[in-house]
Amino acid sequence: MNNIINVKKLSFTFSNQNEILKDLDFAVEKGDFLAIAGPNGAGKTTLLNLLCAVLKPKAGSIEIDAKPIQAYSAKALAQKIAVVRQEFIPVFDFSVEQVVSMGRSPYLGAFGLENENDKELVRDALNATDTTKFAERSLANLSAGERQRVFIARAIAQDTPVLLLDEPTSFLDLKHQVKIYDLLKKMQNEKNKTIISVTHDINLAAQYCENVLLIAADAGYLYGSTKQVFSTQKIEQFFSVKTYVHKIGSENIFIPLGLLAKDRDRIDSQAEKDL
Amino acid sequence: MLPDTNLTKRTIKILIPLAALIAVMCLCAFIGTEKISLKKVLEGPAQIAGDNIDYEILIGVRIPRIILAALIGIALATAGAVLQAVLRNPLAEPYILGISSGAGLGVITAILSGLSFSFWAGSTITLFAFAGSIFTVWLVWLIGYFAGRFHVTTLLLAGVVVNAFFSAVIMFLTSIAKSRQLRATILWLMGNITEKSADVLWFSGISILAGVFCLFTLAHKLNALSLGDNEAKGLGVNTTKTKMAAFALTAFITAVAVSLSGLIGFVGLIVPHAVRLIVGPDHRQLLPISALTGAIFLVIADTIARSIFGQEQLPVGVITAIAGGPFFLILLAKYSRKISWVK
Repeated sequence: MNNIINVKKLSFTFSNQNEILKDLDFAVEKGDFLAIAGPNGAGKTTLLNLLCAVLKPKAGSIEIDAKPIQAYSAKALAQKIAVVRQEFIPVFDFSVEQVVSMGRSPYLGAFGLENENDKELVRDALNATDTTKFAERSLANLSAGERQRVFIARAIAQDTPVLLLDEPTSFLDLKHQVKIYDLLKKMQNEKNKTIISVTHDINLAAQYCENVLLIAADAGYLYGSTKQVFSTQKIEQFFSVKTYVHKIGSENIFIPLGLLAKDRDRIDSQAEKDL
Repeated sequence: MLPDTNLTKRTIKILIPLAALIAVMCLCAFIGTEKISLKKVLEGPAQIAGDNIDYEILIGVRIPRIILAALIGIALATAGAVLQAVLRNPLAEPYILGISSGAGLGVITAILSGLSFSFWAGSTITLFAFAGSIFTVWLVWLIGYFAGRFHVTTLLLAGVVVNAFFSAVIMFLTSIAKSRQLRATILWLMGNITEKSADVLWFSGISILAGVFCLFTLAHKLNALSLGDNEAKGLGVNTTKTKMAAFALTAFITAVAVSLSGLIGFVGLIVPHAVRLIVGPDHRQLLPISALTGAIFLVIADTIARSIFGQEQLPVGVITAIAGGPFFLILLAKYSRKISWVK
């Protein structure tokens, strides 16, 4: 048993609404890179909030390191899982270094003073994310991509076996999207971190992740390797959209094309060819 | 780089305002309507009471009052800094949770019902102010809790609504009050430091310092909380517990301060802001330095209030408001210019 996360029969409902997640079963191996994908409103972020105990399951269980998630104190859980939410500008003018240092707060005593080890981990995290050069600057004066790297640096300083990310690339340009995923892959390879990323970008996920959890809007789901899950038929079914599919290496890439797209007819001819 | 430069820097940053506070307190002890000579004070107490007036004024009147002003400054500034972090609102201040109107209602009730007499540790006014403010804070929490499980916005709104309602009741009561009772109430509402007995000083000093000390232990959690609830949870902070503790402690120290001096405005709003502009938002520094700066500010303000017009004393709240308003504007202008330059 090398599973760091075990999810069994997990269900969740917001009050007076349809079930968002129903009987979800999956396990994440240590050192795995998992993508959670699916259409808007399917419950991706809800699942992320369940995995970091911000929400409580209606039924079923989540185990982290073979221990039920409810059995962890907030502090103990923060030593297992670091969460990176979508980047934002804090109300107060914290510097990059101050924000990254907060990653050490689950380990601090009553007066919150960092020791040498804490400081070294913060320095390492700044170096790993290439943010040392603006360590003294305020978060308000960074670009969105730089800010996202700062929040990832904080999660790295938190020194947890698991990293949980909520759409880490959604507001970034192409170069910065790739930079973030390279950074995450590096963390997986060098530090054997387990990485779970909620994402809309299935093409990037196909290139960087081993496994995918695809959640449907009707509480159905699909779990497997990227090659199993990212097939034309399943993507079109889960996202209810027609896509142009191409293969690079062994992974598919999908380009969604609407009715009025210039090259929509290519999809139809492709479908005929496949038959 | 030395390994502990950060800690040394931090210590120095706290020692400077501490030294400044001690210097200001010593200096202000010799300022006032009565001239006091250091030489006569050093002679010590006279055999017959009243022979060495200088000594008696300094030890019996000025020093206790200066300590009182410092304590109130510490309480209000710390409470302001903490509430701004928890409510994630730079305009939050110690009275926002209904403490002011609750205390005001308590005081006016005491005065109007003729229950304002003195006993061993002060007067019933103090007691009523304390009870009023604690009751109102509890009421605001209750509304905030049932309306939205401690969401920042619901708490703020509950505070505003309760404040408005109680202010209306206070206005109603003042409008039907007799003029002699009115002056005491108005002075109190404006914030007025007066001499208090040694018992009161000890009691309030210990309460305020203990409360402030407990708040210091929340400092690094407040850093996380000021990023928002979910962020703080992800960083291992038990948000409900920390918020409850922060609110309870700020309510307590503010209520003690209010019961001593009435409503002194601006200290809790301006001091944390000014300090944050200089030392940054890290609460591990912000809280102690705000506390010390608040004390300096109020000791100076009270010295002006008691000496500027000879025998006639001004309420200190007037001084803090007159000095605080423009000071705040200057800071704001300087601050926004700094931002636009960087961008």
